[in-house]
Amino acid sequence: MNARVDFVEGARIALLSLRTNRLRTVLTTTGIGIGVATLLAILGITQGLDSSFANQLASIGSSSLYVSKMPWVQMGNWWEYRNRKELTLSDLEVVRTHSTYATAVAPIVDSNEDVSFLGQSVSAVDVTGTTPDYLAVSGFEVTSGRFLTDADDDARHPVAVLGMDVVDGLFPMSSPLGATVRIGNHPFTVIGTLSRKGKVLDSSQDLTVLIPFKSFVGYYGKRRGLSIGVAVESPEVLTAAEDQLVGIMRRARATPPDKKDDFAVNRPEQLAETYKQLTGALFGVAVGIGLITLLVGGIGIMNIMLVSVTERTREIGIRRALGARKRTIITQFVLEAVAVSALGGLLGTAVGLSGAKLVSEITPLAATVKPLTIVFGVSFSGLVGLLFGLWPAVRAANLDPVEALRWE
Amino acid sequence: MLIDLRDISRTYHVGGEEVRALQSVNLTIDRGEWVAIVGQSGSGKSTLMNVLGCLDTPTSGRYLLNGRDVAGLSDDELADIRNREIGFVFQTFQLLPRETALANVELPLVYRGLKAKERRERARSALDKVGLTERMAHRPNELSGGQRQRVAIARALAAEPSLLLADEPTGNLDSATGEEIFKLFEALHRTGHTLCLVTHEPKLAARCPRAVRLSDGLVIADGPGRQVALENLRDDPRLAAALRHELT
Ligand SMILES: Nc1ncnc2c1ncn2[C@@H]1O[C@H](COP(=O)(O)OP(=O)(O)O)[C@@H](O)[C@H]1O
Ligand SMILES: [Mg+2]
Repeated sequence: MNARVDFVEGARIALLSLRTNRLRTVLTTTGIGIGVATLLAILGITQGLDSSFANQLASIGSSSLYVSKMPWVQMGNWWEYRNRKELTLSDLEVVRTHSTYATAVAPIVDSNEDVSFLGQSVSAVDVTGTTPDYLAVSGFEVTSGRFLTDADDDARHPVAVLGMDVVDGLFPMSSPLGATVRIGNHPFTVIGTLSRKGKVLDSSQDLTVLIPFKSFVGYYGKRRGLSIGVAVESPEVLTAAEDQLVGIMRRARATPPDKKDDFAVNRPEQLAETYKQLTGALFGVAVGIGLITLLVGGIGIMNIMLVSVTERTREIGIRRALGARKRTIITQFVLEAVAVSALGGLLGTAVGLSGAKLVSEITPLAATVKPLTIVFGVSFSGLVGLLFGLWPAVRAANLDPVEALRWE
Repeated sequence: MLIDLRDISRTYHVGGEEVRALQSVNLTIDRGEWVAIVGQSGSGKSTLMNVLGCLDTPTSGRYLLNGRDVAGLSDDELADIRNREIGFVFQTFQLLPRETALANVELPLVYRGLKAKERRERARSALDKVGLTERMAHRPNELSGGQRQRVAIARALAAEPSLLLADEPTGNLDSATGEEIFKLFEALHRTGHTLCLVTHEPKLAARCPRAVRLSDGLVIADGPGRQVALENLRDDPRLAAALRHELT
């Protein structure tokens, strides 16, 4: 008698038993299946979110910093942020002269406006007033025409570079170059178009129009909050550049050493962190729900196995009388439990994956499932079967053979 | 000597009360012997069989099987002894209902770790011996009581055990079928098997070479089957006469 025999014979009996008790098998399998499906669908969706977000982040420009009055991710008292001094053009000049890491420094002011052309209109466009350096800061590329120049800025030319969402909305058939569009109530001549960047957290970066900074101030006034966009050589120096910027800004604003910064240096990763916290919480809750479902499924298995052991008390007695060792009986029942739950795991994996796929097709959420997740799903459910099947199996093996044979 | 029981007792505790199912039983059985165990219901016959078959362990006393003391053996070792040395036949057949006759007979060989081919061959020849070659693929519920008991006997034989233990094997069968099964045991005895047969039918006990009578867990008679059977009917001359008549 050896472990291989235990296993082969145990597997044969398990399959026979599963086939004989079809309805029971289906019901128990469903319990585990639902747990695994839930777990996998949620894992798939969160994994999808993660990977699409990683792509989105790359599009913001991963080697840029943005100095502004308020941080992008606000953790403290909003009033405190609100009462801070606005940034000024002299702040910008100080940054430009003193930051040794900066390769480009651009002012950024923006406003939400409707943009129209020949009766067509695109609303809620992010109209940004900035300078030629913005190209390097933002990571946009010019795909047709040209970008803003210093001459445009100095002369306050009414010229505009359009993001692709605006191009799509206003010029579905023709080239926008040279056309005169209305931004708010003001006419602007289109001089160029930008590359497409896609969405970050569901807001499109292509729903934008860039105009010369001074033109913007001329039309919309100076009250708008100014941000300073700073491009650095590479992502590696971001932290050093950030520290330096904080120093420069504090000196420029003569902030006493015991006072906190009254400005914020923002990095796109901050968004990523917030996002991670958010999805992390979602993930945690989801995994918790999945685990609870699996627990319920596992208890279902334990219950069914206890019933199975009771029903087959005589069979156990017969096997023991004919020379089955305790280990053999344990193997038999554990394998049965593992088979049921692994089957449920397989089923749940299929359902969970289709669920995730469905979600990615009918909602903007992207769902991807790593192959490892599938392996995890099936082996995890198998493990559930092992854990919850072990106790009934041990009980079966510890039955007194004489009593078991007499069982009615 | 195959079996040597010395001072064997088996005591059950039921709700604070002691039930002495076996009391200081001394019994030896040689290879090739055929012993009937008789006695009233509750006299300890099944308990004795379970002890002999290593399904149950005595409360006290020594049991030497093939010269080996069974007392200190682990659960696994006892399972192996049941698998190799013992062949059980029960009153209620105790077949696995979902398996075919062949698979039932193969079972002890599975636990012995034999390869499928050898298992099949041995199981087939055991079923041949009990005259069930035609019914190998049938499940127990497709067989008559007598056929089921034959499958059970084939299963006991397939393991080629040192000792066959049959606890009222004819108890659930009509007398004609019971007679057939008994004849099968006679044939097995002739081919050299060691047999222990529990029966409450004096007629059958009288046909065994040796019989042991139990009463309240005590061995009260041990001798030639005919003598032990008739002895018990001393107080009832008419029954004794009837039995004598039947045996001639
Ligand atoms: N598991 C048990 N628990 C308590 N008492 C038992 C148990 N098994 C048998 N007995 C008692 O032991 C005695 C002998 O039983 P048994 O060997 O089955 O008798 P027989 O087979 O001769 O009818 C009876 O009094 C019976 O009630
Ligand atoms: Mg009995």
